[in-house]
Amino acid sequence: MKRFGPAALTMATLLLAGCALGGGATMTAPPGGQYQKVSALAPLPDFIPGLGTLYVDPKTLPAGPFLAYDRQGTLVSSVYMVPVKDLTAHKAFENLAAAPAKVDHVDLHYNAGHPGVAEPHYHVVIWYVSPEKAAAVK
Amino acid sequence: MLTRRGLLTKGGLALAGLALPPLAHPRLSGAGGAGAVVEIRMRSDDRGAEVWFDPIGVRIEPGQTVRWIMASPGNPHTTTAYHPRNANHSLRIPEVAEPWDSGFLINPGDRFEVTLPVEGVYDYFCLPHEAAGMVGRIVVGRPGGPGTQPFDYFVGRPGTGDWGHVPVAAQERFPSVEAIMALGVVSRRVQGGHQVRESTVSRHDER
Repeated sequence: MKRFGPAALTMATLLLAGCALGGGATMTAPPGGQYQKVSALAPLPDFIPGLGTLYVDPKTLPAGPFLAYDRQGTLVSSVYMVPVKDLTAHKAFENLAAAPAKVDHVDLHYNAGHPGVAEPHYHVVIWYVSPEKAAAVK
Repeated sequence: MLTRRGLLTKGGLALAGLALPPLAHPRLSGAGGAGAVVEIRMRSDDRGAEVWFDPIGVRIEPGQTVRWIMASPGNPHTTTAYHPRNANHSLRIPEVAEPWDSGFLINPGDRFEVTLPVEGVYDYFCLPHEAAGMVGRIVVGRPGGPGTQPFDYFVGRPGTGDWGHVPVAAQERFPSVEAIMALGVVSRRVQGGHQVRESTVSRHDER
């Protein structure tokens, strides 16, 4: 538990301080507004196994949210990417946007880095679907 | 140094027009010996928490070709030589050798290869995963050059002020030159969820 302490605190901050994204427009891909497909911004696949097709407003990098859609274009999660160095530096992330969807469960995953966030970080994944449906995002 | 790369697409590479024959061996194609192509997989686990070159250390002969193959869906990698021409990284390949940078390999099966005629130690890294310790080492012929020096060897030398330091996590992952020379191939091993520096090892002729 000690290992995940900073990430858990950050997640709580995200959930409590979030502001809603633009209504139902975010529930199906593409979300519109300033959101762009991540694969058009960084050398990543269109569909990332385990996450889905990601969209992000570039101004919000690296934290996001990244809106994740399944292969049918339905919003399945919002992902916040928090660099480990920011956690250890006690950096705050406040008033991050949140999708107006019912949260089913939350995952926190360590990630070694990828194009766009090329440093070790945590994925804070706010799932809007069950664990079984989340596992099917392949 | 000769390099071959496939079709460049949005910063990544996809193999095109590079008709490579089926491999007779999972990591060593061709008939073996100096003409064989040594293959290194670029891997990660499903969540991208662990990333590594497989194997992490190899010994080859001058003029031999190394081929990196993307083997982790959804988690792009690069193979990039430690060289000031690659974003001011410190020089850790022979002074007279040409550096390489594959660009992003995105799709499983994407590949990139270099032929290394100059003897010495070649250290390289994965651009998005260097801070996480995704690095590798190749010894061509007899070891020598900057790759045999301590990671901070250049500090205080003229013209190196803008060189970057190798991240600590990366320093800890390099296999030793001695192990590579003794064993030919060094693979990473996981103990208690963490990578260790060098470990399970096999010789080319044993695999």
